[in-house]
Amino acid sequence: MTGFDPIGLEVRWDRLAAATDEAASTMLRTAFSTIIRESNDYTVVLMDAHGRTMAESRAGIPGFAALMSSLTALVLERFPAAEWRDGDCVITNDPWIATGHLPDIAMITPVFHRGTLVGYAGTAAHSPDIGGTPSMGSADLLSEGILIPPLRLFREGRVEQGVKDFLLANVRLAGQVWGDLEAQSAAHAVCRRRAQEFLDDFGEPDFERFAAEVHAVTDAAMRAAVRELPDGVYRAGVDADGIEGHPTHIECAVTVDGDRIGIDYTGSSAQVPFSTNSTLNYTRAYSVYPLKILLDPATRTNWGSYQAIGVTAPVGTIVNPTFPAPVVARHLTGHLLSCAIYRALAPVLPGSVIADSGGAPALRVRFAGVDDAGRPFSQMLFANAGMGASRDKDGLSTTAFPTNSGSGSIEALEVASPLRFVRKEFRAGSGGRGRRRGGLGQDVEVHNPTRRPVQLVLLGDRERHPALGLAGGEPGATAQAVLDSGERVPLKSISQLAPGASVVISFPGGGGFGAPEDREPDLILADELGGYTPGESA
Amino acid sequence: MSRTVRIGVDVGGTFTDLVLHDPARGLTWPGKLPTTPHAPNEAITAGIARLLAETATPPGDVAGVVHGTTLVTNTVLERTGAVVGLLTTAGFQDTLEMAREIRFDTTDLLARPATPLVPRHLCRGIPGRIAADGTELHPLDEDAVLAQVRDFLDRGVEAVAVAFLHSYRDDRHERRVRELLARAHPGLPVTISSAVAGVVGEYERASTACLNAYVQPLISRYLDALDGDLRAMGIDAPLHVMLSGGGVTSLADAKEFPVRLLESGPAAGVIAAAAVARRLREPDVISFDMGGTTAKIAIVSGGAPRRKHDFEAGRVDKFKPGSGLPVRLTVVDMIEIGSGGGSIAAPDSLGLLKVGPRSAGSVPGPVAYGRGGEQPTVTDADLVLGHLAPASFLGGEMRLETTEVHKAIDREVAEPLGLDRIDAASGIVEVATASMAAAARMHLAEHGRDPAGFALVAFGGAGPVHAYGLAKQLKITRIVVPMRAGVMSAYGFLVAAPTVDQAHSLPAALTEVDWDRVAAVYDELAARATAVLEPVDAQAIRLRRTVDMRYLGQGFPIEVPFGEEDFGRADILRDAFDATYRATYGRSLDGPAEVVNWRLSAHLPGHDVSLACEPIEGDPKLGTRDVWIPGHGWLEATVWDRYRMRPGTEITGPAVFEERESSCCFGPECRIRVDPDLTLLVDLGQ
Repeated sequence: MTGFDPIGLEVRWDRLAAATDEAASTMLRTAFSTIIRESNDYTVVLMDAHGRTMAESRAGIPGFAALMSSLTALVLERFPAAEWRDGDCVITNDPWIATGHLPDIAMITPVFHRGTLVGYAGTAAHSPDIGGTPSMGSADLLSEGILIPPLRLFREGRVEQGVKDFLLANVRLAGQVWGDLEAQSAAHAVCRRRAQEFLDDFGEPDFERFAAEVHAVTDAAMRAAVRELPDGVYRAGVDADGIEGHPTHIECAVTVDGDRIGIDYTGSSAQVPFSTNSTLNYTRAYSVYPLKILLDPATRTNWGSYQAIGVTAPVGTIVNPTFPAPVVARHLTGHLLSCAIYRALAPVLPGSVIADSGGAPALRVRFAGVDDAGRPFSQMLFANAGMGASRDKDGLSTTAFPTNSGSGSIEALEVASPLRFVRKEFRAGSGGRGRRRGGLGQDVEVHNPTRRPVQLVLLGDRERHPALGLAGGEPGATAQAVLDSGERVPLKSISQLAPGASVVISFPGGGGFGAPEDREPDLILADELGGYTPGESA
Repeated sequence: MSRTVRIGVDVGGTFTDLVLHDPARGLTWPGKLPTTPHAPNEAITAGIARLLAETATPPGDVAGVVHGTTLVTNTVLERTGAVVGLLTTAGFQDTLEMAREIRFDTTDLLARPATPLVPRHLCRGIPGRIAADGTELHPLDEDAVLAQVRDFLDRGVEAVAVAFLHSYRDDRHERRVRELLARAHPGLPVTISSAVAGVVGEYERASTACLNAYVQPLISRYLDALDGDLRAMGIDAPLHVMLSGGGVTSLADAKEFPVRLLESGPAAGVIAAAAVARRLREPDVISFDMGGTTAKIAIVSGGAPRRKHDFEAGRVDKFKPGSGLPVRLTVVDMIEIGSGGGSIAAPDSLGLLKVGPRSAGSVPGPVAYGRGGEQPTVTDADLVLGHLAPASFLGGEMRLETTEVHKAIDREVAEPLGLDRIDAASGIVEVATASMAAAARMHLAEHGRDPAGFALVAFGGAGPVHAYGLAKQLKITRIVVPMRAGVMSAYGFLVAAPTVDQAHSLPAALTEVDWDRVAAVYDELAARATAVLEPVDAQAIRLRRTVDMRYLGQGFPIEVPFGEEDFGRADILRDAFDATYRATYGRSLDGPAEVVNWRLSAHLPGHDVSLACEPIEGDPKLGTRDVWIPGHGWLEATVWDRYRMRPGTEITGPAVFEERESSCCFGPECRIRVDPDLTLLVDLGQ
């Protein structure tokens, strides 16, 4: 190999990584979608001429970057490389090609340098709206929104007006949807400009030499990490509420064979006539991410990082459903995969894994209605469950995993809606007991002070299946939503909060790690003093 | 005759820097002493006494002392502040510990966030509720306030913070708590969130209030003691304190809002760079301050530093956003990265050369210092490349250990990576420079700016050394190296303007702004600012109004300037917003806009201070030496003594310039001029 020295490679790699971070920051700051902002549901990558990622933004959903290479390969089948011109742009939200549900729009643009196609920039981001019928549990994909097969949105810098008009005619909030596509475009412009400067400054004709080397480095790093694990097949199963009559079961076999690691989901539930199906792409993203941070957290990621990892699942299962399965709530299945992978690898990596997290899967809450002045509102409540404990540390309370959705300000929610938040506090005792305690969930009580009912949309799990502990640790508390009348609201439902009524939404706790009897007395006392556990008197 | 002497004092972790300035005598006199960490006032008073003696200045001639301290920053980092009790709205007592519910490092499954300043058992909810529109839903339970605070005192609480929901909108409950406690427990420090940070966002406001309460007792005692010491020396001029936003304030204001003293040292450096830019009439400069452990880069536009209104104190990982405690406060907007003279170079597990963020600091310091450092640093690489002269470093006070440096670079970098010593050393400098360039590009890009067209103002011990390499990477064609690179912060204190920055949230759609209310808010903010600034000079107060705006539905507001005459003019505000948005992001949008925070910055004029001093007699040319210059390799360069150079001198590179605390070198294409302030103006050509 005509390699760079360790300095040349570091300087170049750092430069390109900074370019994707800069592009991601541009997108984030100009986006309308609260999901992009609050739950980091996006990615930005720079790829070589073969569509292999060289640099990936650090923020965003790490697993999504892993999908951009396969996505680009599929796009290139329809739009061969020879046909691309400078200023082109292709978009798609096909859940089997892109990131697993219709609201995520992926965008690919070419990077030309001195007349030659040298690479591609890629982004995927959650759109403010994608049409369809907002309902709980669509029976098929097309009621979830508009499907965009790979289409050119721009040709040589000019918008394809027909495509734009057709798209915007089929979504709500057309201005914001277009605004976010422009935010994505702006990120692509940054990638393109920085990539061209890179080649100019380093006097390279294209990315071939650089890409070959960074791919070799990351591939070697991941393989070295896998080689540390003893060969074998490690199995675990995870159960979740799923939907009425169709509880979700994830069966996971992790096979370590030398420097390769394979994850297979044979034995998992069949696909369901409900939106919890996770396309193989999404399944792959949420398998790669927990594995990467477990095995090789420090190395920057790119195409090479994923070559040692295989993810497979039988066609027709909930983790590899066939078209036109509904998929909008794919996270209710995909987030469970981290629990299965960590349970499977716990025997060989006991100090590195965590017990089940209450937020795997995340509980999403939305309130919508009309205030007393007649103004409509629609607001997501971002709040989180407790994380699972590790061998050495208690789980983090009210912290999302495997997403990183954070929380918004209650004051901001009250400014933007007529809702009244009565309390938002830790659920004492909700963390699974153990030598290390699971993180606490929280109770959020919301009151409807208006004269009209408010729509309450809940989309979650863990009503009957708590986050389980590891190594003798106990499960965390389950999730629930209860009206002030005492009536329970199912966690996959659309219901009404009557005028004057209140609801308490209880986010689950994380699983504990190790036997509770082994918890040190000073930690038990500290838990009681802080009220994290109910204590003797309660 | 009126008194003209002013003194700036910057207490850093290692050294206390001082500058005395007397425009009447054309005098600028620096001083440097080791910091006395157990009692910082000892080094300050000793340093001031020395300056007064050296310049034959009677204490009574001192017109002002401006002080900057890292005490607030360190108190939070080291967790040595007061025991604080927090009162919140009932049901929201976990706001502080829940924080933003994020993982600051998504690649580290086991990363822990910063521990809250107030433990959960000292966070108490109080019945009483204000709605988002300011109406009172439930009255404040005054008995509960008194009962909880009595219990606080039983548990050793030394300061109280109060953060109720929507107090930015209506602060009556918070003010009532302050009154109640003033009566029931006189002398107990109480911080109310609406006074310290009157902006929407309950967590960030509570965090700011707690941080203020946490440092208040310590800072008050310290400032009072220092003030007393100055009076005892015969200095009866007012003591001013440097703020994180780049202004200065009175002793009383600093004691009430000590949180505003966070990071004031680094801010002062940028203020100094801005003053240099103003003297040179350079509209756009990048302030580049590289010290022992970090490099700080900031934009100065139109002679003023860019500022922002949030900050994080006490980060678990200094270079990871989200790992600290958020503070709503006006700060100079700078990016800080782990590239300093003491940053350690080593190959990583992939065989790539990494430089920083680990630093040898000042103890043991670089290998060259001979104080036990064994890992090679940027400064060590600089020595190998001829940028530092072993014999004349720090004016010859410290001889640099060349042999040990060679061994360390060979052992730790060159041999493991299969490079020769020079390639290893130049590689260390190249990697460090590249990460600073990347950070600078990123920081400028966030504001829609490109580095080309800016001039680079370099200071700090290591800033001038790396200015040329950084400028080349950023395609910057002008470099400015002021005299006395090592005491720029203290110089910043002397030029900083008395300033009061305030904000008030009134979130609303732009078309629904209640302009009477906005006018009332500004009256109130202006009255508060005047109360602080009036004793100095009521006539000279300047007001600058800005408003944080965004398109309805976006998450990140941008700050838009407007004039008093624009009150009530939503159309003008909308145009100004679109223009600012376009300048930042390259385009503007059609959708509706909303306003969040109304801001008022009130300030008095700053001081114009020259860094010039009388050149020393003698030949400024010290000889020649071989220097490794980025992009050129080894060249024989003329070595110049900056203290002997006269204004108006013009030379061409390659050249090395030495001063006590730093040095710099420039390639053969450079034309270098010495200006009347003895600043080096370097033109790199194209």
